[in-house]
Amino acid sequence: MRLNFKQQSILPGFGLALGFTVLYLSLIVLIPLSATFLKASTLTWQQFWHIVTAPRAIASYRLSFGASAIAAGINLFFGLIVAWVLVRYEFPAKKLFDSLVDLPFALPTAVAGIALTAIYSRNGWLGQYFDRIGIHSAYSPLGVVIALTFTGLPFVVRTVQPVLEDLDKEMEEAAASLGADRWQTITRVLVPAIMPAALTGFTMAFARAVGEYGSVVFISGNMPMRTEITPLLIITKLEQYDYAGATAIAVVMLVVSFAMLLSINLLQAWSGGRTRAKAAAAIVAPAFSEA
Amino acid sequence: MSIEALNISKRFGQFAALEGVNLEINRGELVALLGPSGSGKTTLLRVIAGLEFPDSGTIRFNGKDISDRTARERQVGFVFQHYALFRHMTVFENIAFGLKVRPRSSRPSREKIRAKVQELLRLIQLETLAQRYPSQLSGGQRQRVALARALAVEPSVLLLDEPFGALDAKVRLELRRWLRQLHDEIHITSVFVTHDQEEALEVADRVVVMNQGRIEQVGAPDEVYNHPASPFVYNFLGNVNLFHGRVDDGKTYIQETATGQVLYVRPHLLEIARLPNGGSHFRARIKQINSAGPLVKVEAIAEWGDSVRVEMPQERFQNLQLVKNEEVFIIPKDVKVFAKREPA
Repeated sequence: MRLNFKQQSILPGFGLALGFTVLYLSLIVLIPLSATFLKASTLTWQQFWHIVTAPRAIASYRLSFGASAIAAGINLFFGLIVAWVLVRYEFPAKKLFDSLVDLPFALPTAVAGIALTAIYSRNGWLGQYFDRIGIHSAYSPLGVVIALTFTGLPFVVRTVQPVLEDLDKEMEEAAASLGADRWQTITRVLVPAIMPAALTGFTMAFARAVGEYGSVVFISGNMPMRTEITPLLIITKLEQYDYAGATAIAVVMLVVSFAMLLSINLLQAWSGGRTRAKAAAAIVAPAFSEA
Repeated sequence: MSIEALNISKRFGQFAALEGVNLEINRGELVALLGPSGSGKTTLLRVIAGLEFPDSGTIRFNGKDISDRTARERQVGFVFQHYALFRHMTVFENIAFGLKVRPRSSRPSREKIRAKVQELLRLIQLETLAQRYPSQLSGGQRQRVALARALAVEPSVLLLDEPFGALDAKVRLELRRWLRQLHDEIHITSVFVTHDQEEALEVADRVVVMNQGRIEQVGAPDEVYNHPASPFVYNFLGNVNLFHGRVDDGKTYIQETATGQVLYVRPHLLEIARLPNGGSHFRARIKQINSAGPLVKVEAIAEWGDSVRVEMPQERFQNLQLVKNEEVFIIPKDVKVFAKREPA
């Protein structure tokens, strides 16, 4: 039987567009990544298992995924506030603040890492105050979270901002006239409306943080078992010419990241699908034929 | 519930949206706020709803000053021009929203909410669409859902901001008749804003004509139409021809600019004839004829060069057999005279 996807779409060029998409994704994403799996497959199953479950590797996963999740969570919360302020209020130098948000994208991450280290180290501007109350901000897992928060800052802001701008002020007025207080309006009207976008931002911030390397290596101190992130562990293995070991750990990262991204996407499809029209047939329902 | 607006003024920056507006709306009335855009009609409605606070003036519900209360505390039903439905909620959830957000002590039980929503769905004739999302409905259906949502909280006042403005002509016509019927059934004090004079005259018990932040006239539809208080009202409520001149002893003198009077004649109150009838008349040449629709619209050039619009029934047009460029006489049947206003 011949597969026929074409009939579902009235847009021309489906075959060409799909072909291009598959080719492009293959060249850029799939082939390089499958090379990772190929290299890792030179190991026996036992060797592989031994490498990926080594205590040092386990500690690095915990730090990498844990710190990334915390950083993405911080960015979700503060990103929503920043987006809200940038959309809803007028204040001087608003455009300036708006551009500041993108700076973590533009800055080489190593520069960010050095700058953050300078500020948060024991004798840095902020680090000395943290140190006085017994918190070591640099060279600790906290430092990793700080660096990852920095690099992930723009994502939530930039995904939520357009949705907030698009949001009708009348919806809030309608909620108020129906007797909802401010808290009910936020939790029942605003948050559900921006949730899909916020989730996208969270996912992107999380994904970026998991893969982040440049800024973290400066501020974390890279102590095995304590402040060593997984990407660094991979680099360390590469420097020791242990290519198979490096790819084995890379495979674990890939699989875990992919599983997490997929589940967040599914969650998002579930929360976002509710607001969109599900069937075109519904729209052509008679406008007011009864009257 | 009766509504009183006393001496309401509101500015947006340099723009005066309302200037000392006084209005009284009786219990159970259906009132239209009519005016061109920028006349302050929507601002007045929003001030009554508590969505906007006036710079000065007082709003009273049933004689009680509620100027300081927020929209939430005033418990009015408000229907927005663009529906403002909650996109992530179904029709059912939208209508139930106002009941669900009530404090626990006064919140009805689940079954009661369900019953109430079902009853409203029946009222708006959308029982089968309860589980649809707003994006799956047509404009007319959405506006009915918005209306049901506003009615669910059993407000004592219903305020509608250009409720049919975003709908196409046919749906608009059906929906406004339906609104009138609904009002006759439930007798809730209602105020709606519109810029469509036909809509206001057809639906409302009383019409409030607004212009530049002030009320020009308040009255029953036939009153404002037949006895306009100002040239603006006359102008706004239908097409009109303007002449300079005067009326003396029942005779109309046109083209006498020195008198400072302006004559207003509606197109259907001008008669075209082949012969002068001895009364007031002037010569004109037919320029354009449009005979589509129940009324034939004729554009003629008066003897002094101005364009004049005349409307007549199809029957009369058939009898006359008018042709383009023909010389005819035009006889004004009813002329309104207003003193010329100083340009504002």
